[in-house]
Amino acid sequence: MATTLGQPTSPAPPVGPPAPDVVRPARAALAEREDPRKRIVRLVILLAAAAVLAKGWLVTDIDLGKLANAPNAAPILKALVQPDVAARDVMQVELQVPFVVGAGSTGPALASDQAGQSLRIEPGSASPGQTVTFNGSGFAPDADGQLRIQNPSRGIDGLFTRVHTDAKGSFHEERVWPEYTTLPPDVYQFRLVLNAPTGSPHPSDTLLNSLGRMGETILLALMGTVFGVVISAPLSFLGARNLMGGTPIGRGVYWLVRLIFTITRSIEVLILGVIMVVIVGIGSYAGVLAIVVHSIGSLGKLYSEAVEGIEPGPVEAITATGADRLSTVLYGVVPQVIPTFLAVTIYWWDHNVRMSTVLGLVGGGGIGYLLIQYMNLLQFNQAATVLWMIVIVVTAMDYASAAIRSRLV
Amino acid sequence: MLRIEHLVKEYPGGIRALEDVSIEVRDGEFVVLIGLSGSGKSTLLRCINRLVEPSSGRIVLDDLDITAARAGDLRKVRRNIGMIFQQFNLVKRSTVLTNVLTGRLGYVSQWQGLLAHFGEEDYRRALVNLERVGLRDRAHQRADRLSGGQQQRVAIARALMQEPKIMLADEPVASLDPATSHSVLKYLQQINREGMTVICSLHFLSLARTYGTRVIALKAGRLMFDGKPSEIDAERFRSIYGEEAVEVEIE
Repeated sequence: MATTLGQPTSPAPPVGPPAPDVVRPARAALAEREDPRKRIVRLVILLAAAAVLAKGWLVTDIDLGKLANAPNAAPILKALVQPDVAARDVMQVELQVPFVVGAGSTGPALASDQAGQSLRIEPGSASPGQTVTFNGSGFAPDADGQLRIQNPSRGIDGLFTRVHTDAKGSFHEERVWPEYTTLPPDVYQFRLVLNAPTGSPHPSDTLLNSLGRMGETILLALMGTVFGVVISAPLSFLGARNLMGGTPIGRGVYWLVRLIFTITRSIEVLILGVIMVVIVGIGSYAGVLAIVVHSIGSLGKLYSEAVEGIEPGPVEAITATGADRLSTVLYGVVPQVIPTFLAVTIYWWDHNVRMSTVLGLVGGGGIGYLLIQYMNLLQFNQAATVLWMIVIVVTAMDYASAAIRSRLV
Repeated sequence: MLRIEHLVKEYPGGIRALEDVSIEVRDGEFVVLIGLSGSGKSTLLRCINRLVEPSSGRIVLDDLDITAARAGDLRKVRRNIGMIFQQFNLVKRSTVLTNVLTGRLGYVSQWQGLLAHFGEEDYRRALVNLERVGLRDRAHQRADRLSGGQQQRVAIARALMQEPKIMLADEPVASLDPATSHSVLKYLQQINREGMTVICSLHFLSLARTYGTRVIALKAGRLMFDGKPSEIDAERFRSIYGEEAVEVEIE
């Protein structure tokens, strides 16, 4: 500001909206700059884009109504919030009550055990058209069971009705004895078989099963990653331009290695899985091979880029000492790329776990196999267990790998 | 004795970095190379150990024809020539000791180098050389924990591991503050007084006058001046650095 001292101050600029005769020429100037051809081109691009989107909408059969009114969605969504994760042991309770079909006593038939669980049938006999009530009490709450009618000498054993106890452990059923019955008059017995849950909840078979498969999936990804690293890490030095650019042979090797990386990287894991299943059969081994092939290209490319990103100075200095090429790489390049290599490897293991969860869909082992099985059997609660496990494990690995990587680099 | 005869370096793209440079350096000299950035100092130094391939001309160190050496002999040529750099060029993540030991890679066999197998003698030598630059107690620290001046001294120790006949230094103090610059150059001077030839490029003429026994100036790849530091007067200075230049002193 010192230079402006002593100079006459310029008048303050006018405040408020500019005069209209200033605005109009400005607009005119703007309009002049707009090339009319540009506007036409812009319009054509816009129309073309709209046409492509409209065509896409038709080709892919988009139907929002189907999503809003989807009868199959409800059970799946319901299952998602009720994954099959816990189960309780079941104790079977049995009670037998004699019962007469045809004319008989009008008093109730009754059975009970020491635990105070009882079944009372009233009346103890039934003719067609008569109402019979079944009352159970003293059972475990919220238990499912069957009421069967049996007559061993006639070879009859049929399901009469299903029962479900309420919160107090009781149930109440009423039936009108049918006019025409396949049960000829005789003495029968009603047999109540009730499955009462006991003990505290424990992990369900589905949960244990999916945990085992999840472990397999993580190990599958690990093995695939390890073999991928073993192959791609040495190759990556040959695929680094800064190390291979010197001679025509070097450049040839560089292009060859880069070609291998590009080809293996361009084939999706699922497609590789299909191929490997054909070669070595269904199972985790096929999955490992698919992951290995896919990892070679991707890891190799990331490693090579790490090698290309090193400081050239130390390499120059070690070359100047008279070290041969291999020693120069070992002492000048390797120490520089180790943190990046580790970070890339951890990231890629995490990525491979995600890939491994779908490999089961094509028979490549892992948890995806379980998911497709449950879905095909319409066991949505079980499928939900698998799905949630995938979500939790993949998210956890994502966080863990990010945390480790942030410490490394 | 180092003889450079009619050295020419033309980079791809037609840039001629060196234009018929001939120099003879006697054993035990401390030669300071001066000149503007881009005058060819770095290229000249790198031609001497073939980090840069000369286009034509000859370089002979004692009876060793450097320019004629084939790939296999290049190791032998290079281990006779130590070099330090402006950016120190240590492997930052490796320990000081490992960095110094890499100076020995020109001697160990390929497989020894690969197995990180340096002999007892190499370790002893590494500690002696660290002692010479006053950093023996830092041997097991990571190189990037050291200050710039200390890193440059480690680089000197690394070059000394080669037991070279001649030491090249490419702007060794350009990244350092004045006080540290002197400390690094004093170590080079010490080595020089013990008998080693030093060729060192510098930006500051005052440093050249203090440490050099001989000054060689390059301008656009040509030899401009070759003589005693005291012979560079104002006129010579302008002819080397251009009419606009003003000399800046470094204390």
